[in-house]
Amino acid sequence: MTVHQLRSLVPALVFTITYAAISLSVTNSYYQLVLTLVPVWAVFGLSWNLLSGYTGLISFGHAAFFGIGAYTTALGQIYFDLSPWLLIPVAAMLGGIAGLLIGFPTFRLQGHYFALAMLAYPLAILYVFEWLGFQEVTLPIKRDAPIAYMQFADPRLYTLLALAIMLATILLTRVIERSRFGMALLAIKQNEAAAEAAGINTLAWKLRAITLSGAIAAAIGAFYAQVLLVVTPQSVFGMLVSAQALTVAMFGGVGTVWGPVIGSVILIPLAEILHAEAGARFPGIQGVIFGFAIVCVILVAPEGLFWKLRDLLRKRLAPKAAAMVDGSQAPATTVMSPRPARQRAATGEVVLEVRNLSRSFGGLKAVQNVSFKLHKNEILGIIGPNGAGKTTLFNLLNGFLRPNQGEVLIDGRNMSGERPHTICEAGVGRTFQVMRPFLRMSILDSVVVGAYVRARTDEEARKLAADAVARVGLSAVADRVAGELSTKELRLMELARALAGQPRILLLDETLAGLGHGEADEVVAVIQQLARDGMTIAIIEHTMQAMVRLVDSFLVLDHGAVITEGEPEVVTRDGRVIEAYLGKKWMAHAPH
Amino acid sequence: MTGRNRTTVTRRTLLVGASSTLIASRAWAQQPPEVKVGLLVPISGLYARPGTVMREGAEMAVDHINAQGGIKALGGAKLKLVVLDSGDTTEKAKNAAQRMVAQESDLVAASGAYLSSFTLAVTEVTERANLPVLTLSYSDLITDRGFKYVFQTSATAGSQARQALPQIIKLAETASGKRPRSVAILTDNTAASIASAKSMREGLLAENQLQLIVDETFTPPLADATSLVQKIRSAKPDLLFFLPTVISDAKLLLEKMNEFGLGQGKVPTISFGIAIAEPDMLQTVSPELLQGVLTCVASWGAKGHEALIAELKSRYKEPWMTQNAISTYGDMWVIKDALEKAGSADRVAVAEALRNMDAGPSKYYPLGEIKFDDKGRRVGAGMTIVQWQSGVPVTVFPPELALAQPFWPKS
Repeated sequence: MTVHQLRSLVPALVFTITYAAISLSVTNSYYQLVLTLVPVWAVFGLSWNLLSGYTGLISFGHAAFFGIGAYTTALGQIYFDLSPWLLIPVAAMLGGIAGLLIGFPTFRLQGHYFALAMLAYPLAILYVFEWLGFQEVTLPIKRDAPIAYMQFADPRLYTLLALAIMLATILLTRVIERSRFGMALLAIKQNEAAAEAAGINTLAWKLRAITLSGAIAAAIGAFYAQVLLVVTPQSVFGMLVSAQALTVAMFGGVGTVWGPVIGSVILIPLAEILHAEAGARFPGIQGVIFGFAIVCVILVAPEGLFWKLRDLLRKRLAPKAAAMVDGSQAPATTVMSPRPARQRAATGEVVLEVRNLSRSFGGLKAVQNVSFKLHKNEILGIIGPNGAGKTTLFNLLNGFLRPNQGEVLIDGRNMSGERPHTICEAGVGRTFQVMRPFLRMSILDSVVVGAYVRARTDEEARKLAADAVARVGLSAVADRVAGELSTKELRLMELARALAGQPRILLLDETLAGLGHGEADEVVAVIQQLARDGMTIAIIEHTMQAMVRLVDSFLVLDHGAVITEGEPEVVTRDGRVIEAYLGKKWMAHAPH
Repeated sequence: MTGRNRTTVTRRTLLVGASSTLIASRAWAQQPPEVKVGLLVPISGLYARPGTVMREGAEMAVDHINAQGGIKALGGAKLKLVVLDSGDTTEKAKNAAQRMVAQESDLVAASGAYLSSFTLAVTEVTERANLPVLTLSYSDLITDRGFKYVFQTSATAGSQARQALPQIIKLAETASGKRPRSVAILTDNTAASIASAKSMREGLLAENQLQLIVDETFTPPLADATSLVQKIRSAKPDLLFFLPTVISDAKLLLEKMNEFGLGQGKVPTISFGIAIAEPDMLQTVSPELLQGVLTCVASWGAKGHEALIAELKSRYKEPWMTQNAISTYGDMWVIKDALEKAGSADRVAVAEALRNMDAGPSKYYPLGEIKFDDKGRRVGAGMTIVQWQSGVPVTVFPPELALAQPFWPKS
């Protein structure tokens, strides 16, 4: 562990120690109970955050894991007379298994469908437990061995135990956040397709995340049962329980370790105070005030308090940083200065061969019978009007889509129908037409995601990423977050991410789209430099102008089929190409 | 003995003199200290309505006790009711209980907490704080945990089903002259209903020579009751046990029964629990449809409570006195008796007094005595059968508590 990593643990330790000191000085058992519940719900929020905060797959059903944990401690004590010291780890294990079982079928769904499917699990389990006759389960009182059964006379011990679990969860989340695991999850959140394309086995990482998340939720659910002493299906599997995880995490900030902690520290005592003070005078008003407060905070800080505060803090420190960036950006652009045109690549060995590739969607033949060869160190431009099937072709090449027929040979091996991350591992990188950068991640962090497919250690990944950033000329701004970048810089960042995996073949989807003339030239210069360094490139573009100067040969698609291919000078004069782009009546004007 | 009496008299004489001659603040200072009694019930959320009725019962009792001179053994100390909101979840109930024992440290006893699951959580806290709690909750579990500080005034769920069946049969026999032989059960799948139906299926019906000919379980809320009612019409049972929890289900079934010509008692309909006799029923179901419907509950406003029922009506605009009001009213009097017996405002002493209490026949709970067994269950706790008559659910059984004669339609 590096010094930097150790230093990042300091806030967590300071917070825990301060909290412990405060709780030790509280003798009122009611306040102490509230102090116990704060870390409990914080941990539950953290477990939710681990899955939903980092992957962006919202789970409305975390109560499923929480409840399984709670019933494990309750039933384990009643029927097997086991101690909760043993049952909490057992609960974590069961929660992990439940996560795996739930995740495997449910990860086939995305977005709202995933959220709704998750909602169903705790509700279904709730009825199962009612049917089994566990409507009301109480933990047996152990007067002779209270410590062995975690039934402390001093309520402060519960708080300390809850704090220990919270600290462990924070540290675990911290480690994950900075590792390949966390990066993979963040990449899934930005763009699952891009993550797959960057060589990340998204299903495997998501399953790991839900397993771990389920285990933590179940462990804290098990501890919660020990605090509540009574378990009912509603109190551990109910909608309100799942909602509690979302509430604390979203209030405090999603996708950060501090979010659920902040949310819990504020909301849990607030709810109790309202219940005790306002509720005594106007029964029911506590819910109204509580709801109103949450609505206000969400309106002011939609991403949660943590991010809002961080943005404010950044703004105050911004003037200094901006001056620095301005000074350093100039050399970055000089790197991009036009270079002499590259010697056009001779037809070397074939690295990618496509044979009779076809794919249709219902009656629409998006790609039909496409065959071409990509030679080493060649730049191939794939052009054609809108809807010609260019992006579909790329999706077939990198594994997003399975072809109906035909083969994709990479270095002579048929890879058609393989998953995207496998194809990425085989040396094919790609960028996307629509950029979806993670706005709060720095350029370097975003690029690191792409490096993991080659790197064995986190350190190696950072080195590869730094190299890639340097190759596209973004080193000077590598620490800036994506939200502050221009379109050009974002395009270059995407390029760097694809480069970080050290591909031999790059598939670039409309990399020049949305760029001004000067900007496009800079990006073209970078691509040319890559080709000079031995990269093989296939690029989709609309704008002919830039392309003519860039590519060695063109492949022209229309209605999913190849119209023609050949050198730029020949292709641009081809009547069929002009017709496809401009329509029949322009044929007369075409130079012959 | 005589000496102590004399001092009391002297002090009271002095007090009267003081309050009439001295300024108000002085008089207040000389009054005996108040004795605080807790009431931990849901007054917000889903169960606010029954919780509010419990508070009304408790307030009436405290006013009556104070008007009659407070706790005489404590020099006429007045009772003071401390109401805490248990909210609508088990966690909130437990937190409220913790708040009660932590911040109201001078409570001598409490009553609560409506739902069995709330009471279970609350008593986990009060047991550890040695605070005696009286409860009307039914669950057998409450007094099966070996706790020393919880006292269950209602008959437990297990015991209620056992008591109810012979009473129903007796009622049918006395009213119609014919012993019922066949029954139908229509129950929703909520916890309380399932528990009652289960005990009937597993032995109770057979013990009472009743044959189960229709047995249907549904998930609330019902969308349509036609198929259920058709089964009843074709089977023609002598009795129908109908166990809804949701008022709309009760309405749907009763209306459909009426439509099929089975309503208004042609197939005598018996329910369990308070849902079908709540005042809210009348907001959706017409009194004609409810006419003759019976329900078995742990307690109800009954004979001997006429003055209380009248007061509840005029003071709180409640249409009648449900179990929640009368049981909680009774709880305050039991606590008062325990305080008199303990002779000190100390919770442990009050609990001890409750354990050893033997105050004879019960006045506010149905049947049995004011006496608790080793588990904390009221000895001989009975139950009541209530029948809808002209838009009001009235107690019709047991005879000694009945406010009206039960009627049984002759088919």
